[in-house]
This record gives sequence, C-alpha cells and structure tokens, in this order.
Amino acid sequence: MLPAMLPRQPVLDPAAAYPRIAALRTALDSGDWPACREILDAAEPVERTCLTTVAADADGVADFLRGVLRGDPADGAAGALLGRNLGGTPEAERILVDAAARSPYDPAIWTARVGTARSLGLGASEARRRYRRLAAIDPHHLPGQSAFLHHLCAHDAGAAHAFARTAAAEAAPGSLNPVLIAEYHLDRHLTGDRRHLAAEEVRAEIAGAADRSVRHPEFRRTHGWVQATSTFAMAFALIDDQTAAASLFASLGDFDSAWPWERLGDPATVISRYRKRASGGER
Amino acid sequence: MITELAVDGVPVLLAPTTGPMHAGLAFRVGLADEPLARRGITHLVEHLALHSIGVADYHYNGATTTEFTFFHMQGAEADIVAFLNGVCRALTDLPMDRLPVEKEILRTEENGRGGNPADMLALWRHGARDYGTVAYPEWGLTGITPDDLRAWVTRYFNRGNAVLWIAGPGLPDGLELGLPDGERQPAPAASSALPVRPAYFSGPPNVVAWNAIVPRGAAAGVFTAVLERVLFRSLRQESGLSYTVRSGYEGRADGTAEITALADALPEKQGAVLGGFVDVLAAMRLGLIDEADMTAVVNQRAEELTRADETGGLLPGRVFGLLTGRPVQTLEQDLADLRAVTGKDVAEIAAVACADGLLMTPGRTRADWAGYAEAPAESTSAVEGVAYPMINHPEVRLIAGDAGVSRTGDDEIVTVRYAECAAVLAWPDGARRLIGHDGIQVQVEPTLFAGAGTVVREIDARLPAELRIPMPARDPDTIPAPPPAAPKPTWRDRARVLGGYASRYAWLAGLTLMTLVCGLGALFALILLITGDEDAPGLGPLAVMIALAVVMGRAAVAQVREMRE
Repeated sequence: MLPAMLPRQPVLDPAAAYPRIAALRTALDSGDWPACREILDAAEPVERTCLTTVAADADGVADFLRGVLRGDPADGAAGALLGRNLGGTPEAERILVDAAARSPYDPAIWTARVGTARSLGLGASEARRRYRRLAAIDPHHLPGQSAFLHHLCAHDAGAAHAFARTAAAEAAPGSLNPVLIAEYHLDRHLTGDRRHLAAEEVRAEIAGAADRSVRHPEFRRTHGWVQATSTFAMAFALIDDQTAAASLFASLGDFDSAWPWERLGDPATVISRYRKRASGGER
Repeated sequence: MITELAVDGVPVLLAPTTGPMHAGLAFRVGLADEPLARRGITHLVEHLALHSIGVADYHYNGATTTEFTFFHMQGAEADIVAFLNGVCRALTDLPMDRLPVEKEILRTEENGRGGNPADMLALWRHGARDYGTVAYPEWGLTGITPDDLRAWVTRYFNRGNAVLWIAGPGLPDGLELGLPDGERQPAPAASSALPVRPAYFSGPPNVVAWNAIVPRGAAAGVFTAVLERVLFRSLRQESGLSYTVRSGYEGRADGTAEITALADALPEKQGAVLGGFVDVLAAMRLGLIDEADMTAVVNQRAEELTRADETGGLLPGRVFGLLTGRPVQTLEQDLADLRAVTGKDVAEIAAVACADGLLMTPGRTRADWAGYAEAPAESTSAVEGVAYPMINHPEVRLIAGDAGVSRTGDDEIVTVRYAECAAVLAWPDGARRLIGHDGIQVQVEPTLFAGAGTVVREIDARLPAELRIPMPARDPDTIPAPPPAAPKPTWRDRARVLGGYASRYAWLAGLTLMTLVCGLGALFALILLITGDEDAPGLGPLAVMIALAVVMGRAAVAQVREMRE
C-alpha cells in the first residue's frame, strides 16, 4: 500500500503543539539544569505547571533532580519536577511537602500536591485544603482545577459538578477553564451512567461551556488548548453531535490529545474512529 | 530582686510583690516518680496534707505535676504562716483516718478526667514508666496502705527535698515548717517507647497533637511560641480549619524541655488539619522562620516575664529550678537570654524538635506519607511457651512461658515480658492484665482460655508483689464469655468450604462418577448372582454397593439442586 493511502495517525505527543516540551525534555535528558530553568522561568504559570508534568514520563532523571535539589534545596522548579517524576508515591509527597514549605506560592507544586492527596488517599478535606492554597495563588489555574475535579469526581459527584460550574463561570470569556464541565460530564458518562450524556440539560451545558471557551471569539491557543479542544470534541462525539465534533476536529488540525480519549481504549485507534465518524465516513 | 534565705533547713526564695502576698512550698516529687502500681500516691499525700487546713474560703491549693508537688496560698501573712506550718505538720503525721474518704474523693476527681492529648502523647512516647505514667489512672489508690504513705513521705516530703517561695515584704514571723531531715531526690530518667522518630499514632478524631523533647532554654521557649503563631495563622486565620490552636513549653529536670502543640478539628476536616499541621512542621524543620514572628514572640515574652516578676509570678519556676539543681536567675538574666535568641538558634531547635516529633493523627488518618514512622502498637515477637487456644476461637492463643506472656491472633502479637513488666492488674475473678514497660498490655481472661488458670497462677508467682494492682470485683455481666461455637459443619458445608464454583463442579463430577461406579458394580454383581456364577459376591457386599450408589446419587442430586439456586 502506498504511504499516501495510509489512514492519518493522530499526533498525540503534546510536544508537537508545544515546542517548549521538547526543549525541556532535551534539557532534562542532558542534565542541563540552567537550560531547564530558562524554559520553565520563561513560561506562563499554567504552561509552567503543564511543563513540569513532562518529568512524569522522563526516565532516569530522578538522580539528576535530586542532585539539583541538594545544591539548592529552595529550587521549587526542581522540587515540582522531582515530585512529578516520582509519581504519586510517599517519596514524591515528601519532596513536595518540603518544596511547598520553601516555595509556598508555586502553583506547580500545589497542583502536584492536589494529585498526591488523591493518590495517597489523604481525604477530601486535605485535597480541598491543597486546592485552596493553589486557588489563593491563582484562582483559575486549570491544571490544578482539573486535578481537583478528578479527585471530586471519585468521591462526590455533586461537589464535582458544582466545582466545575463555578470554575467555568468565574473564568474569563474564551478561556480554557469551561472544559472542566465537559470533563465532569465525560467522567459521569464513563464511570457508569451511560445515559448521562443523553440528558438534554447535560448536552446544553456542554454546548454552553464550549461557547464560552473553545468556540468563543476570544479563545486563544494558549498552552492546553489542544487537550481542551480535544475534550470538547470527545464530549460532542459521544453525545452524537457530529457537526460540533467535526468542527472541533477541524480546528485541532493535526493535533490530538491522548487524554481523555484513552478512557475509551487505545487513544490513536479511538480518535481515528471518531474523527472518521464525525467527517461522515462511518456511521 | 530575689533573696535566698532558709527556714528550718529549707531554702527560701523571697521576692517583693506589688500584689497580695503569696507563698508556696514545693517538693521534688511528682507523677514521674510513681511506679505504675503506686500511681496516685503523691496526689493522695497532697490531699491528706491539705485536709487538716480545712478552711474553704482561703486561696490555697495543692498541685501534683509530673516532677513537683507544691502547696501554695495567697492571703494575709498570718494565714500563710498557719497554712505552711499546718501543711508541714500534716505531712509529718498524715491523718490516716481520712484515707478511705480521700481515696474516694480522688476516684471521683479522676472520673471527670478524660484521656487528654498530652497524656496520650506521654504514653506513646514513654510507655508505662516515669514520664508515661501520667497517662494512667490512679490505680495505686486501692492498694496503698498507711505504711506505703509513710515511706513515700519520708523519702520525698522532707527538708532536703523542699524549697519555699515567698512573694512579700519579708520572711514572716512564726514560720516553723518542722519537716524531717532527708535528701534531695533526683527526677527519674525518661524512658522511651519510640524506637524511631519522628513517629505517629492515631488518636481521637477531633484533634491533632504533637510533642518533642529538646534542650531546654530560651530558644526552645521562643520556638514554642513561634510554632503556635504559625499554626494559628495557618489553621485558624487562613483556612478556618481549627478553632483551638495551642502550644506549650515545659522544662524538665534533666535539662530538656517538652514542647507540645495541638489543634482541634471537626471530624470531617481531620485530613486537612493534619495536612496543614504537617506543612507547618515541615516549614519549621527547614528553618523557615519569619523574623516578624520571632520579634513579636520575644517582645511578648519579655513583657510577660517583666509583669510576672512584679507579682512574684516567676518564683514557682525558680523554685522548681532550684529543686533540680539549676542556679537561680534574675529577671535581667532571663531577659538577656531571651533577647540573645537568634533566628538560627530557633531554626536549630526546630530541626531537633521535628526530628524527635511524635504526632497524634486524628481518627484513622496516618502520617507515614509525610515521613513519620508508625509508633509500635504491638510487640515484635511472642514468648516461647505453652499455647492455650481461645475456646471456640482457636486462632487466638495465649502463650505463657518463662519469659512472659503473649497473646497472638487477629494478625497481632502482644507480649509482656516479666522482666519488663510495669504492673499487673489483678481482679478477684482471676483475670489479669499485664502492662509492659512499653505500654503494651496482655489481658488474661481465664474464662476465655481452657487451662488459663495455670497461667494466672504462674503470673502471680513470677511477678513481684509490688507490681500487683488489686482491682475491685467486676460485675459478673462484664466478665467476658467465650464466643459461641460455630455450628458443626455438615458434609455439604465442607463441600462448600472447598471453595468456589470450580471445586463444586469437581465435587459433583466425583459424586456422579462414584454413583456410576457403585451402581454399575452392583448391577454387575447382581447379574453374576442371578446367573449363579461361582465368583459372585455374597449379599453383603452387594447391599453395601447398592447403598453407596444410592447415597452418592442423592448427594449428586442435592448438589445440582443447590447449584441451581
């Protein structure tokens, strides 16, 4: 078969849309801390938090980061990266406890700690405390909001819905934050209630959220836009609003995000299927 | 200005006061000196000594603390003289006729006491000896005899082990005291029940508490107050998670000080209060101490000291210091020490404190995620000896050996070794509770273990009488009875016990096969019998095979029915 006839493979690596990710990976792999810091320091807060998650998939950088922290225990960026690299383990949490004490106003650290509160089972009130510490620094910090929503979804659907609505309503028009509404409804749908997305008010709420976010005139392609757009596309695809899904797939162009599609199976396969379906190629 | 004097061989610290005159007589004896089996004896002495004073409308009282016992009074000079002379007279001749009544009063007083966080921290940190005994009830009361009291008073309530403070214009006339001779008694060394620190244990659901032992001094005092400020700001002002946030500093005779901090929590907020508490301690451990907090604390403390000095409020502390061999400081020295404390000093104390910390987490929350080791709640091994299974519950076993007694089962081992036994509670019905130095207990209930009567006799023979705490008879309803025996399993239950579906199918297949074998065998034998074959079996074996076939067949049918349900 000719290469030109191969079906288009979704591009799932976030580095494709955000070149700083590739740069940070290279700097981490080569053990070049000044370069790492230069990239992180130049990033906007949300972008910086997202960049720190790169360390979660980086192999063999833990010792390098430990060395950086030994040299400068107050380096919050190193703490956040090492915390991410060590996953949701008690060791990660201990690194993050110290990092938060030394850099109490670093949103990347508090975002990571919202995640460890969940993975270590520290309880709803502790997850909320950590989120509040983050919100006091940045009330619209989407990566942290998403992590907290993730926690709420697992324990208290009512609180999760309320949180997503409030965070969406308080965010600026055209921002990415209303995607929390889509994330919430997708979670409800995928964790058992398969009729959830069929309800008219749910469809209306998702459409409204998209209108205030990825479909708003002031929407900008800031860091995280691919995942937000992709999440809305998935929500529309599952509600069977193929027109809306197709338009979002079109604006994504060559980019896709593995999350949240991977909840349906192998993300590349699933995305290909739904893209095809949205374009009318498969019913 | 403090003047050091002496009255009747007792050192006196005299200082002027702007307020009413007050005085106190302190002895170097407290709860930490009491063996567990004598727990309450000092408090009992204090009560008996005050009984004869008997004037209700005066400002006097006695107090028994961990390391000291003191009698103090505020009022007119003549009344103070009468009070002090009266207390000393009573101490030299305790009103033993009051013993039963005072014991009863103390028991009532104790019923009002709950297990407070400081007691629980003391128990988990020190076990069932010296500084840990504060956590236990006054178990000694029942068994304490007049002779025990006289021996205790002779050892501790004498002029060599006493210091008097007087806040007033001068030494009052008529002060005689008249205490017997004796020696200064050093405080006991503190035991540890914590192999690893920092450590944690789970406490009540509504409070987070923490303590640490550090070198005593002005820096430790400043750190204690800074800790309270930071906890208050974080847990109450900024997050509204706690209402009460407190810290406390208490110097010890051995040159250390115990720092305690606590924050209350609504049960639904316990995780967050713990998390916030852990974060504050982490900042302290890392030496992240705000200069503004330091300054505020030092200024406030300086003002408190100055004000307390005006009314003689610093005298009790100086008397306790003198009783434990520390020189008497002036206010100016105290203030200079306080002003000399640097941020580095506080950071160093904070690091020592956090490394030594014992954290009481609320309810079922844990703190291993934050680097705190779980404090031991059970023993690492059982003793070797004879095992007595619990009646109807044989996985629980009582083990009695030469070294001590263990109880195993339910994934837990508790052991008390005779050589490390702090006390044994003895009930008239034969029950015993051994309490180890580490605070771990083994309860021996003769009704629950067949043959445990032997164990009880062994315990009584091996443990010295002074460790024994006689307990009042129990209500027969509260004496535990063995758990009811499980109904005897039928053969079908056994098949069920074999496990899930797979084994039930295997069982069914086996039954069917056996039915076929027996049935065919019987049929074959019957044919042989009918055809008159000379190899034919007798009627007996034939009947057995038929019977077997019927039994197996019915069992197979029953199994099928059951599996359909």
